Amino acid sequence: MAAYITRRLAFVVLVLVAVSMLVFGVTTLLPANVAYLILGSFATPEQVHALELKLGLTDPVWQQYLRWAGGFITGNLGESTLMNRPVGPMLLEAIQRSLMLTGVSFVLIALIGVGLGIAAALRHGRPLDHGISVATYLGIAVPEFFWAIVVIIVFASWLGWLPASGYEPISAGVWEWAKHLIAPTLTLVFGHLAHVSRLTRSSMIEVMQSPYITAARAKGLPERVIVLHHALRNALLPTITVLALDFGRLMGGIVVIETVFAYPGLGRLVVFSIQNRDLPTLQAAILVVAAIYALANLLADLLYARFNPKIRFGRNVA
Amino acid sequence: MLAIDDLTVRYRTAGGEIEALSSVSLKARKGSTLALVGESGSGKSTIALAAMGLLPAEAMVPSGRILFDGADILTMNAEARRQLRGSRIGLVFQDPFSVLNPSLRIGDQVGEGLVHHRGYTPERAFARAIELLDEVGIVKPEAVAKAYPHELSGGMRQRALIAGALASEPELLILDEPTTALDVTIEAQILDLLEDLRVRRGLTMVFISHNLGVVRRIADEVAVLYAGQIVEQGATEEVLQRPVHPYTKGLLAAIPRIGRRMGRLAAIPGRLPDLRNPPTGCRFAPRCPFATPDSTNPQRLLAVGDRMVRCSSAAALRDTSWPVQEEAVVAATADRSASEPVVEVEDLTKSFVLSRGALRWEGWRPVRDAVSITPVDAISLTVAPGEVVGLVGESGSGKTTLGRTILRLIEADSGLIRIAGETVSDKPQSALEAMRRTAQIVFQNPDSSLNPRKTIRELLGRPIARFGLSPKADIPKRVDELLDLVRLPAHYADRYAHQMSGGEKQRVGIARALATQPNFIVCDEPVSALDVSVQAAIVNLLADLRDRLGVAYLFISHDISVVAHLADRVAVMHHGKMVEIGPAEQIMNAPSHPYTIKLLSAVPRVDGPALARREVVAADGLA
Amino acid sequence: MSPEPTSAPARPPRKPMPLQLKAGLAITGTILLLGLLAPWIAPHPWDTISMRTRFLAPNATYWLGTDEYGRDVLSRLLMGARLSIGMGVAATLFSLAIGVPMGLAAGYFRGWIDEALMRLADVLMAIPPIMLGLLVLAVTPPALWKTALAVGFVYIPPIARLARSVTLTLANEEFIQAAKARAESTSYILFREILPNAWPPLIVEASLRVTYAILLGSALSFLGLGAQPPSSDWGLMISEARSFLDRAPWIALAPGFAMCLLVIGINLLGDGARERLDPRLKARLGKA
Repeated sequence: MAAYITRRLAFVVLVLVAVSMLVFGVTTLLPANVAYLILGSFATPEQVHALELKLGLTDPVWQQYLRWAGGFITGNLGESTLMNRPVGPMLLEAIQRSLMLTGVSFVLIALIGVGLGIAAALRHGRPLDHGISVATYLGIAVPEFFWAIVVIIVFASWLGWLPASGYEPISAGVWEWAKHLIAPTLTLVFGHLAHVSRLTRSSMIEVMQSPYITAARAKGLPERVIVLHHALRNALLPTITVLALDFGRLMGGIVVIETVFAYPGLGRLVVFSIQNRDLPTLQAAILVVAAIYALANLLADLLYARFNPKIRFGRNVA
Repeated sequence: MLAIDDLTVRYRTAGGEIEALSSVSLKARKGSTLALVGESGSGKSTIALAAMGLLPAEAMVPSGRILFDGADILTMNAEARRQLRGSRIGLVFQDPFSVLNPSLRIGDQVGEGLVHHRGYTPERAFARAIELLDEVGIVKPEAVAKAYPHELSGGMRQRALIAGALASEPELLILDEPTTALDVTIEAQILDLLEDLRVRRGLTMVFISHNLGVVRRIADEVAVLYAGQIVEQGATEEVLQRPVHPYTKGLLAAIPRIGRRMGRLAAIPGRLPDLRNPPTGCRFAPRCPFATPDSTNPQRLLAVGDRMVRCSSAAALRDTSWPVQEEAVVAATADRSASEPVVEVEDLTKSFVLSRGALRWEGWRPVRDAVSITPVDAISLTVAPGEVVGLVGESGSGKTTLGRTILRLIEADSGLIRIAGETVSDKPQSALEAMRRTAQIVFQNPDSSLNPRKTIRELLGRPIARFGLSPKADIPKRVDELLDLVRLPAHYADRYAHQMSGGEKQRVGIARALATQPNFIVCDEPVSALDVSVQAAIVNLLADLRDRLGVAYLFISHDISVVAHLADRVAVMHHGKMVEIGPAEQIMNAPSHPYTIKLLSAVPRVDGPALARREVVAADGLA
Repeated sequence: MSPEPTSAPARPPRKPMPLQLKAGLAITGTILLLGLLAPWIAPHPWDTISMRTRFLAPNATYWLGTDEYGRDVLSRLLMGARLSIGMGVAATLFSLAIGVPMGLAAGYFRGWIDEALMRLADVLMAIPPIMLGLLVLAVTPPALWKTALAVGFVYIPPIARLARSVTLTLANEEFIQAAKARAESTSYILFREILPNAWPPLIVEASLRVTYAILLGSALSFLGLGAQPPSSDWGLMISEARSFLDRAPWIALAPGFAMCLLVIGINLLGDGARERLDPRLKARLGKA
């Protein structure tokens, strides 16, 4: 197990190094001239050259990368070219707000999604199952930004219960804070529930039809024991992996949701930095998202191993 | 103890309703073993599920009663049925690899019946599970109880399953092909264990199997099923030695016997009737050489002596045997030693590294070292033109690897391979053109060996085109010839693999191997996936082709009796080594290596000295 | 001696077409047809600005109302259908064109090729798709074809992984051994033996990928990194309508519902096709 964890950790580090190269490569190598992007098309060649020198853009690319990556490790994420302030603190603030949003949504998605999936599987082929299936079909088909707009139209414009957008810190009062969280959370949960519940359903159905469940029935065990003790454990194994994947999708989802609800988190920061050609911020933000995603995956792998004796105890040679 | 009365079961499927069982009546007497025998599609497993009240949702029971101690399992409420299951009736399934829950410890799974039926605490149940594991002959019961299923070999898992079924001391044990997935030596151990338990605990057993040899070893009484009906029922020895129903006669005649060489096996022509719309008359009539005009009328079970037979001509057929066609096989058995061998293998070795030194578990002990296996360990072998060399061994003995290494489908580590006088072991793959034409292969699994997206014409035409053996215009004609050679009608050329039965697919596989006009074919378990009656036909076909075309085979099989029937010489493999090789007669009648002796003694036979039930075969539990 | 039958008809009865597949075909077909015929059936010009007809609610002339420039929403919707479908299909074709050969090579050759390709896929999959799309689009002026390319690029790894897992199982089939036993070339084995068997699951997957691509592409357009005004791309339409949700919700709702319908249609199509997959393949790919 220890060897397994070490191996997985090493892999996460490797992936992050590769992602950092990718992010840096795409943002630095592709554009004709970053200085131009920053200064706009009216800049004189002298201005451009001066900025290039200031940013170290005349150095060989690998030096630029090492400088950037080195800064990243020591906590110096560079300076936002737009705001003229360090990226680090700005990013930290955004991460906190985004994790608040995604964290609450994730817990809801996991609980409701797994619950719905199991309920549908145990009523396989009956009205409840069909109802849940249709609902999840909608969940998969509806684009997140459209959900967001429907939520705004219904709860903000029509009912007037919730603010249409924005964010209030918790210091402004818990209700104020919560009110601004409800709409985006609702939207994220709607959009991501389907995936988890569909997978849980199919995995549970597959397990319930497996020979060892028939064998458990042949032992005359009560149905409750069969579901809780025999089936759930095996059925939820693939769900763990999918939940991690969904956490990554959530991190993608916030890009759209935060933009629609004008929620000042990581996703909005990414869009904002793209729109304003703020490359240092963009690079740092995407790398952070990749790191969060990789860690979520690592956690899922470890949980998976924890609950799967085949991995926990290596494999049999026979 | 258990009485099934007029049971009919139908399954709803996409293609229509299938009648899996038609009015089946059975009785299992207390303390005895009743065997249910039949090929695939006979409905034997449905009986087990019905008796446990575990029929799937698509099943319907339009008629019948299943009485256990006087109470009808079919009509009692679900809770009462659950109380019965596992507590008074135990069930052991066929495949020990999938019926154990992968994420629960063995001890928990063995003991859990006690928790729910006898009110044991989980701890007490676990302790009892260890005793039970000990009782079924597991060597280190404490350690095994704490292990997870994937850490155990097939034989150990089957023992654990039996222990679990015995936990609440049931009166009736239903076993559905409990040894089919196991090697013969392990099978023999399990059969001994079951017999032992029956005697010690006074168990009643219902034993379901397709293997008449196994049945003979374990059962007092046998019921033969065909297409959902019982066709013959009586005392085991009686039925197996003097079968009355034509189907039973055919089934027994199709089994190759060790130590009795026959020219050809008896095969049963035709196939199962369509159970969506079963014939009203005798269901076996279309395949029956004794069919009379009366066969089209509904057939009832008639008493013939002490037994019941579903055939109106039963009395007349009592002493008639299944017609065996003795094709004189004096042909091509020319002096083989004189000619140069078609295959020569010297010191062939192949090993695989299984793990590069990471942590692994051997059984339940942690081991940390590089693990490699040598499935082909310094093997030397020759095959003469037109000769059949049989290669037997249990799973993991390396026989398949040897066959593929000779053909260089797997690259050997060292050793010499000569095929048709050409040394092929030192050539690059690109220079093997000639060898690939001379040496071909037939595979085990007819579902996997034919590309499902190609018609038979494409499948058979490709090798001919690939080696330019005929001008393009002549290829269709050549394909027809090949189909004729394996006795398939010409219109099969336009079919796809999924439109044929297993036996037909295997014929196409053989035709494909023959398409390049090879001198040598590796037959890798070509009949293991087939029912006995179909197996006989394929074995006969292979024998005919050898006689007609003079092609030599390396015939690989785990089934010694098939090998004994077909092979001129037999080689026995064990753990990658060839432990014995010699003329078939000699190996079968006077084996010299202890492993060969053990292997032969473990084979369940339908003839020979009656019921050597207590034979003990040395155990080697962990695989 | 003819030991086995020659008469019995062996072809199993064909399963009836699943309802899902029928519904999916109907919905997707209708939208596709309307989109293709849009220039001829659109009731009004889709891009003519008319200040006199701004923000009209749905009525007899303008069935779905008009937008902030007085353009007919229905006509814009019809013209947008071809953009959405075209974008989704183009992106998917792009990811198939790169991902399938990658997966075939990885699954068949194994070893370092497999290692290298799959680790590359891991890296790409470590970034949420939308961020990867943003990253690619961040550095170039936005245009719809670039969005399609970016979306296609993002979905290469999952296609490659599926192609690899299909190839892995197929490479173990005995008919591949049979091909090797008659010295067939690698390209024959890959493209004539393996690929024809790999297509069905790949096509099903691709059809579902089209919906992801449409959703992702429209999200990028929504964020301003795809189609540019005055294009009537559905994502862009919704984005532009955001400022007028109070006054004229129909401008956002119409393209939103249209997109839901399209995605549901394609999803039904894909799921229905999956139902009809060769059961053997389905069983083998159960875990893929």
